[in-house]
Amino acid sequence: MRDMVSTPDRPNALILAAIGLAAGGLSGLFGVGGGIIMVPAMVLLAGMAQQRASATSLASIIPIAAVGAVIFGQADSVNLPAAGVLMVGSIVGVQVGARLMTRIGDDRLRIGFAIFMIAIALTMLVS
Amino acid sequence: MTAPEILALLAIGLTAGAFAGLLGIGGGVLMVPAMVLITGFDQHVAQGTSLLVIIPAAAVGSFTHHRHGRLTLRDAAALAIGGVLGALLGSMTALSLDEELLRRLFAILLLLIAARMLMTRSPKAEPAEPARPAA
Repeated sequence: MRDMVSTPDRPNALILAAIGLAAGGLSGLFGVGGGIIMVPAMVLLAGMAQQRASATSLASIIPIAAVGAVIFGQADSVNLPAAGVLMVGSIVGVQVGARLMTRIGDDRLRIGFAIFMIAIALTMLVS
Repeated sequence: MTAPEILALLAIGLTAGAFAGLLGIGGGVLMVPAMVLITGFDQHVAQGTSLLVIIPAAAVGSFTHHRHGRLTLRDAAALAIGGVLGALLGSMTALSLDEELLRRLFAILLLLIAARMLMTRSPKAEPAEPARPAA
């Protein structure tokens, strides 16, 4: 089993499939992409470089999210018009975010945002 | 959809997209709670809708990476094989759960992500590698 070795240039396919399985499960369960666990897992377990891991994660999210969207769609749990409007907004938002990235101190933004997320989570727990 | 609802969704998409780019986290993590708390969507509908919105964003992002030669299709395919199976299991599980339970589990996911964001200090200078939305 020569292929069991995982190198930065040629990460082991079985390890990647296992990471995909976990990320796909998270994605389907919570309606998110799964990049949050895929990227660090690829760096730590498969030895991939951060940027290559992000790129690979994004590409695999296409079929992962598509499968989830179909399953939710069959259960009447996709709001199509809302999805269209959200797509328009997020396309503009990504451009804005990319432009702002260079101007805002990274650490303060992240800490502020984490606190905001905790507030959202608590609201969801009590509502 | 009413006009205020359309405006709210536009704002949610815009904000989620901008923060995804800024923080390198996925838009779904932000869109789902916003749809639940602001536009009053059911947790299941918010999650299903988020999954659909993620697809074009991931497609555009990975196309850009591919052009810059950062993407190996073999690796993406290996991830996707496991990923599709996981997505099937995960989404069927989500749909079988009560909406209130699912909302609470999602809140716990948010708390875990927030904790991780608080614990990781990014090095100040990282000019070679700007954060990319993980979608």
